[in-house]
Amino acid sequence: MFDHASTSDSGSGIGSPAARQALSVRGFTKTYEGGFTAVDGLDLDVPDGAFFGLLGPNGAGKTTLIGAICNLVRPTAGEIEVFGHRHDAREARRLVGLAEQDINLDRFLSVQEVLIYHAGFFGMGRAHARRRAAELMDVFELASKAKVRPTALSGGMRRRLLFARAMMHEPRLLILDEPTAGVDVELRSELWEYTRRLHEAGTTIVLTTHYLEEAEALCEEIALIRGGRIIARDTADGLRAQYDADDIAGVYLKAMQGDAAAGNAVPA
Amino acid sequence: MSGRVADDTAAAVLPGGLRDPDAPFVEDRRGLLWLCEREIVRFMKLWMQTLIAPVMSSLLFIVVFGLALGDNIADVDGVPYKQFIVPGLVVQAILTAAYSNNSSTVFQARSDRFINDVLSSPLRWWEVNIGLAIGGVVRGLLTGILLLVLGVAITGVGVEQPLVLLVATVLVLIAFAQLGVIAGIYAKSWDFMAFVTSLVILPLSFLGGIFYSVDRLPAAWEVVSHVNPIFYLVQAFRIGFVGQGDVSTGLALLVLVALAAGLSAWCAWLFRTGHRLKP
Repeated sequence: MFDHASTSDSGSGIGSPAARQALSVRGFTKTYEGGFTAVDGLDLDVPDGAFFGLLGPNGAGKTTLIGAICNLVRPTAGEIEVFGHRHDAREARRLVGLAEQDINLDRFLSVQEVLIYHAGFFGMGRAHARRRAAELMDVFELASKAKVRPTALSGGMRRRLLFARAMMHEPRLLILDEPTAGVDVELRSELWEYTRRLHEAGTTIVLTTHYLEEAEALCEEIALIRGGRIIARDTADGLRAQYDADDIAGVYLKAMQGDAAAGNAVPA
Repeated sequence: MSGRVADDTAAAVLPGGLRDPDAPFVEDRRGLLWLCEREIVRFMKLWMQTLIAPVMSSLLFIVVFGLALGDNIADVDGVPYKQFIVPGLVVQAILTAAYSNNSSTVFQARSDRFINDVLSSPLRWWEVNIGLAIGGVVRGLLTGILLLVLGVAITGVGVEQPLVLLVATVLVLIAFAQLGVIAGIYAKSWDFMAFVTSLVILPLSFLGGIFYSVDRLPAAWEVVSHVNPIFYLVQAFRIGFVGQGDVSTGLALLVLVALAAGLSAWCAWLFRTGHRLKP
């Protein structure tokens, strides 16, 4: 649906207010203390309203990129914009919701409080936050656990709570970092359906996952990342055609092997 | 969830439709207030452990050393011993409460990574600093008030210079609330914070003149006492309570100001740069 060349050239995103990009990354580089470069000069645009998948092996730089977008990782170089705002501006941060890969819920608060205080950090008033927490607990079937602490929840319920928390402040860009890792088939199906509905309502979604069929089923466009670089980007159909593969798993293997064969090293 | 998802999820989750990305950021209630509230709620949920236990611990010192043994110990510079030890025990309880509260709340948030919820929000760096520090300030203040009331009731100690006591309390709370945040940011394990509490703060407190006047020490030890910052905290509180100390009011408060300013500057640098908070 979105042509890689047309969405990543200099005419869109940063420097061009006419184009509405939910996310625009230019020359993003992250070198950690100790000299490890996780991402090197990455460019990426994600249009407003897209359902965008980011696939790659462990250590490819996905979580580093997400961390930088969400103000959790300090970029070494480059620019990141969210809906035209610098990623670290308050206007940008209130537009982004993040459900992290790891369960990171406040152990001192109840389920209801986790949601309410999250909304509060984003400036929501108390009555609004309470109302919205009730709505989301209802949607995610957490209402009966409202007064329970996250540590007492099952793994699936914690994952739902992470989702609900990410949605509390009504983000326009939702980033899901391996949201279905370790969840059962039923919950995975429910989360898929949920994210589809959100996307249909207009929310831009960036999804990272190791489940290739998940990306194929959900995402309008998929980028493959290896060694901190985007090595391929297209629709699922476009990638299959480009790599002459039957499915995204085939595309993934061919792309990764091809990139390695081309001599592109993975940072160690 | 699955049955509901297909029907009304989008309407429920995005009740007002999509947010306008160009609209200015407006807070209905300041995020800073929410973070402050969260920090106070955290320690109030653990009130037996965070308030009652330290007050009881300090109270035992007052009862044992002040009431049980105090009558056998000579007055110190004209101050009954049971009253002499109250200021030091109050300041020790306050600084320990402020430090331990903030070091543990920050380290736990880092360790479980729910600090990301705060760091990714629109809160400004200085708001995060204040918000995380406020729990220790309030806990230290409540601990101090409880001990003050009990100390006055039990020993009859007065407050000779309330303004000095007020200023010293504010400065101690700022300094050790910030020190706690700093320790929580640098800590790599719970052992580190236990080490700071048990092997740094506690010894320095006891060697800071809580139970004695340093002019009774040998000359060498008196000099050593003067390089211990907690000595000046104890003196400031003692001047506030009984109107006299081993150093002047100006010097005691000056050291406190320097301590609070230095630790606040360090803390501000950590939050402004994201050093150790963000890789």
